[in-house]
Amino acid sequence: MASLGEEYPDDTHTFMLLAIEQAKVAMDCLEVPVGCVIVEDGKVIASGRNRTTETRNATRHAEMEAIDTLLEQWREKRLSQSEVAKTFSKCKLYVTCEPCIMCAAALSFIGIKEVFYGCANDKFGGCGSILSLHSSSSEPLIRGGAPRGEGFKCNGGIMASEAVSLFRSFYEQGNPNAPKPHRPLAQQATQ
Amino acid sequence: MDTWQILHIPDNPPIAPDQQPTVDVIASLIDPEFANTLVRRLNQISPLENLRHVKRVKKKFVEGGKTQLSVILCLASENGNQLESMQNDVQELMNSYKLSPFITKVCKYAALSKEEWEEQCKIWPTSYHPPTYNIDGITGFSEEDSQSVFRFMKYAIQLAKSSDNLVVNAAVIVDPLVKQVITTACDQTCSSYSPANKITLETSCCEKLEAFISHSDSDGILNHETVHSNSFPDKSKQLCTGVSCLYPWQWADQQSDMSSCYWHPLRHAAIVAIESSAARDRYLFPSLGKIQDKSFEMDHMQSSSAGSLAKRQKTNSTNVHSDDNLDANGEGSSSLSVRPYLCTGFDMYLVWEPCIMCAMALVHQRIRRIFFAFPNPNAGALGSVRRLQGERSLNHHYAVFRVLVPQQILSREG
Repeated sequence: MASLGEEYPDDTHTFMLLAIEQAKVAMDCLEVPVGCVIVEDGKVIASGRNRTTETRNATRHAEMEAIDTLLEQWREKRLSQSEVAKTFSKCKLYVTCEPCIMCAAALSFIGIKEVFYGCANDKFGGCGSILSLHSSSSEPLIRGGAPRGEGFKCNGGIMASEAVSLFRSFYEQGNPNAPKPHRPLAQQATQ
Repeated sequence: MDTWQILHIPDNPPIAPDQQPTVDVIASLIDPEFANTLVRRLNQISPLENLRHVKRVKKKFVEGGKTQLSVILCLASENGNQLESMQNDVQELMNSYKLSPFITKVCKYAALSKEEWEEQCKIWPTSYHPPTYNIDGITGFSEEDSQSVFRFMKYAIQLAKSSDNLVVNAAVIVDPLVKQVITTACDQTCSSYSPANKITLETSCCEKLEAFISHSDSDGILNHETVHSNSFPDKSKQLCTGVSCLYPWQWADQQSDMSSCYWHPLRHAAIVAIESSAARDRYLFPSLGKIQDKSFEMDHMQSSSAGSLAKRQKTNSTNVHSDDNLDANGEGSSSLSVRPYLCTGFDMYLVWEPCIMCAMALVHQRIRRIFFAFPNPNAGALGSVRRLQGERSLNHHYAVFRVLVPQQILSREG
């Protein structure tokens, strides 16, 4: 995890703004406001936002939505597994909130190159807050196992206050679908 | 292995039973005649505050059928000079009964398992209280519940063996109150199965469910499953490469031409089962999809509901405005007027221990208990490599059990 944004490329904030736009779309749909975009070679190739309420599937986080969008596109183009793996390895994810443990594992499995996130996720964070799945790479414990992924680069705290204020206004407007916050709103990170 | 068995996988990694931390205490042999008096007095003047699990007296049978009693006088001090640092009243007691103190070890922490307790007692006797959590089964299963667990696990294993001639992981979500299967799924990281569009998926999911219920006996378990492979590959690792949670990175290495197959690196059995249960929920309770309907989640109820499945969180499809209504709706299970929030109260049966992605997905979806048959030494997140059930920061916690399966179930034909 790196400190606040100055050393990032110019386009970091541009892409994070697009992720925040997605989070706002989620909020308009009464979903917990988390959004993301996936970028390849400086171009946004997919976006996603939280859909857990609509689907009643609590695993439908923004990252999973965006990954599925890409896989669907590439399936239509009949890309092979190795081609898909190669493309993922060039992709960067920009997401408003630190990926949860599930999403961080998923990002490791697909072999994403780099992740930029907004606010940290004190309850579920899989990129440093609770577990550090982005940096985990070790030998498989049973022989014949595929070597683990190399993990991915992870940069937190990019436009974090914007992400947090989205959460805050979401819970202040009264989320009819999600838990009442148990903690001060500033800490509430629900994805 | 030739019998079924259910083992609870605790939240904390077990210490090797014979390597538990100890502390030094000062003890002395005593005349059994004075045991009662001494123990009563010592409990007053030198209570073992942080060692409540440690028994004050150790009984040892010696030659000639006699018993030898030793009693703990007090904790040994950190620095060397034991006798001087002892309390005066303990010293007085020691002098008046002509005790000859010695230093010995006792286990520092209460035993968390029967195995730990047995080891502790070899050093100095302790008491053991099995943990009392609020999730059914942790303190043991009734015969009826055990049989039900075994049958659902058997069903999951049959699913895992019957898919595509390649062994995959299989997931079965069960409502334990009515012993009914909610949904089943197998790994779809690489399969010939192609998910249809959403409407067909929902329909077929529920048709399958109805077929399942109508075909099942009172236990909700199918009896006519056919199994094609005659040996289960926990020994032949080659075949296990189809198990997504064992090899979550492997999808990228597929060499064969899979262009005709459906594949998806993240569609592990548990993920697919969660998706399917969500589709079932939307199908059975369509009105709740609308924005104006309200469903509340109350995490605090999970800790306060004291193990009663009947108190499972419910949401009313029409009009829930207060926490109180939820308990009132606690009766029954799958009636159309109430639905559980996500998978609250449901059990998940998995043939293999899930990876961290699936384990966290099951936290998100509020599964109550997870049963798996085989540990996953490569990427298992419920005890093998990680232990997600012990992460206290999470907003939901399930109980985890390993089910030991008799060999004949794995190798049985048909």
